[in-house]
Amino acid sequence: MSSASPEAAAGSTSQALLGIGVVLIGAVMAYGATFISSEAGYAGVGPNALPWLVSVVLMVCGGWLVWEARSGGYRELEAPSGAERADWHAVAWVVAAIVANACLITTIGFILACSLCFALAVRGLRISEGKPGGGPRSSAIDFATGMAIAAPVFWMFTKLLAINLPGLTATGWL
Amino acid sequence: MELWNQLMGGFATAATPMNLLWAFLGCVIGTGIGVLPGLGPAVTVAMLLPITSQVEPTASMIFFAGIYYGAMYGGSTTSILLNTPGETGTMVTALEGFKMAKSGRAGAALATAAIGSFVAGTIATVLVTLFAPVVADFAVTLGPPEYFLLMLLAFTTVSAVLGKSTLRGMTALFIGLALGLVGLDQITGQVRYTAGVPEFMDGIETVLVAVGLFAVGETLYLALYEGRAKADLNKMGSVHMTRKEWRRSWPAWLRGTLIGFPFGAIPAGGSEIPTFLSYATERKLSNHKEEFGTTGAIEGVAGPEAANNAAVTATLVPLLTLGIPTSVTAAILLSALQNYGIQAGPQLFTTSSTLVWALIASLYIGNVMLLVLNLPLVGLWVKLLKIPRPQLYAGILIFATVGVYGMRQSAFDLFLMLGLGLMGVVMRRFDFPTAPVVVGMILGPLAEAQGRNALSIGSGHWSVFVERPLSVVLLLLLAAVLVLPKLWRLLRRAR
Repeated sequence: MSSASPEAAAGSTSQALLGIGVVLIGAVMAYGATFISSEAGYAGVGPNALPWLVSVVLMVCGGWLVWEARSGGYRELEAPSGAERADWHAVAWVVAAIVANACLITTIGFILACSLCFALAVRGLRISEGKPGGGPRSSAIDFATGMAIAAPVFWMFTKLLAINLPGLTATGWL
Repeated sequence: MELWNQLMGGFATAATPMNLLWAFLGCVIGTGIGVLPGLGPAVTVAMLLPITSQVEPTASMIFFAGIYYGAMYGGSTTSILLNTPGETGTMVTALEGFKMAKSGRAGAALATAAIGSFVAGTIATVLVTLFAPVVADFAVTLGPPEYFLLMLLAFTTVSAVLGKSTLRGMTALFIGLALGLVGLDQITGQVRYTAGVPEFMDGIETVLVAVGLFAVGETLYLALYEGRAKADLNKMGSVHMTRKEWRRSWPAWLRGTLIGFPFGAIPAGGSEIPTFLSYATERKLSNHKEEFGTTGAIEGVAGPEAANNAAVTATLVPLLTLGIPTSVTAAILLSALQNYGIQAGPQLFTTSSTLVWALIASLYIGNVMLLVLNLPLVGLWVKLLKIPRPQLYAGILIFATVGVYGMRQSAFDLFLMLGLGLMGVVMRRFDFPTAPVVVGMILGPLAEAQGRNALSIGSGHWSVFVERPLSVVLLLLLAAVLVLPKLWRLLRRAR
């Protein structure tokens, strides 16, 4: 199908790239498998057997995906739901929210880090709906809302279930 | 008689105030997350896995089972009113139920879904009570070769049969197997794929994969592609059925239960196939064919809803008796048991019989609780659908953090969670099934151990897999599962 529309062409390019990605994962698995001993014992297959199998199958699957992509696209593909174009601006905020949380959770504690994560994520998701992200006032409200969710969760886990979550202080309350 | 005594013993354990409270809590949370789009029972149980370090096993299994069950009830509410099925199994309910709601019969649809779930859930629990011990007795005689083949069968059905594309299903399965390889080898204790990162020594946590793929993936996908998609809420009527609707519903409930149970019970699970089968059956048998797909036929809600619940309940049979999970949630329940060092399998009925019977008894109790929670109180649950989407999904991220971080207190895991979330987005965009990843990751190490043990028994000869009659049967079954759907498709095309 060489007369496909530009969108379909772009689609099959990304499909092919994804297939290459799968091949690469398989290759990395194969590289890792070389470090695993083949000491087999009575079984005849050792700890490196499944790793090799997985890496070979992944490379074959990846190659096959590339082939499908090059010959008219993935088979039996259901059209993905949602918009044609990705909203990178919106998702950047959500990714930032998770990254900030991961970076800060041990230093500023669970409650504050999660409230920040909540506020940033809400901002991103609001932008994705085509609404303005909101000024400092609404961000402050979001932060407070996040706190109202995160704080009880934190107390429930640390006080009731005695599960360790990091706090800003050692009191177990913040 | 022994069965009866054991069941009564189970009720005695399950009906202690503390355990009743756990069951109730599970049912409430389950219904809530079932109603809310974006969270399924699998992710929720995964997020709550950290509690396994503190709560005793029986209580937490009762709690998790309540969530699993409750989500089925709640999910149908959402698919009827909002037409966005939270669970794949309720896809068919959305088909007819949403049509009924559109033509002003939401109340009847909700009622038949809830009562149908109750009827099917209870019958299926009775069947589990009767069959599970028998299967367990039989399963004791199975050796590693049979187990290995059974697990291969589960892999095959989850990845190749349930999805549309075998290739994408297989890719997903092997990605899952790859994730499962990280950490210590079960048999030799050798370190694999840790790349010098100490966090990888213990392997990749189930919570991390489930939460990353589903909760975080869903949130990122929403931000990327679905922000502008609008969903409108149907109006609710009063929740009751007329005499005529009762008459049309009950045969559909029973048929749905009969169709659903076997699909869940054999290690070839999934609730999509039985719900679609039930839908097709009802459509064929109905005296009101004109209502299907137009104004909405009540049988089209009653049957699939019952089939879904029966199938979900029946997945407990392979899970408890063989230790083989056939759905994502079952896989996560298995890893909850693993956290306690409890090996699911035929021995479970002897070594942890209190737990098993309390769990089964709590299913009876949970079904009653859920009927009460869902019929008169459905109006309360619907209010949950009014939470604005940004706040809802941002809130999910907080809970995701609790689950992932709470498991082993490592910020590194939060980065991994993001990575898996991005993978989830790509998989969803390119129509890769995600269930095989989770099942492959959890079942993979077990299957590997069984396979290698089997080969040890056969002193390295692969013929060990064809020397025993049952393993031959399983091999044939495996071949049939792989070939038959393709053949069927070819035949249909030829016609």
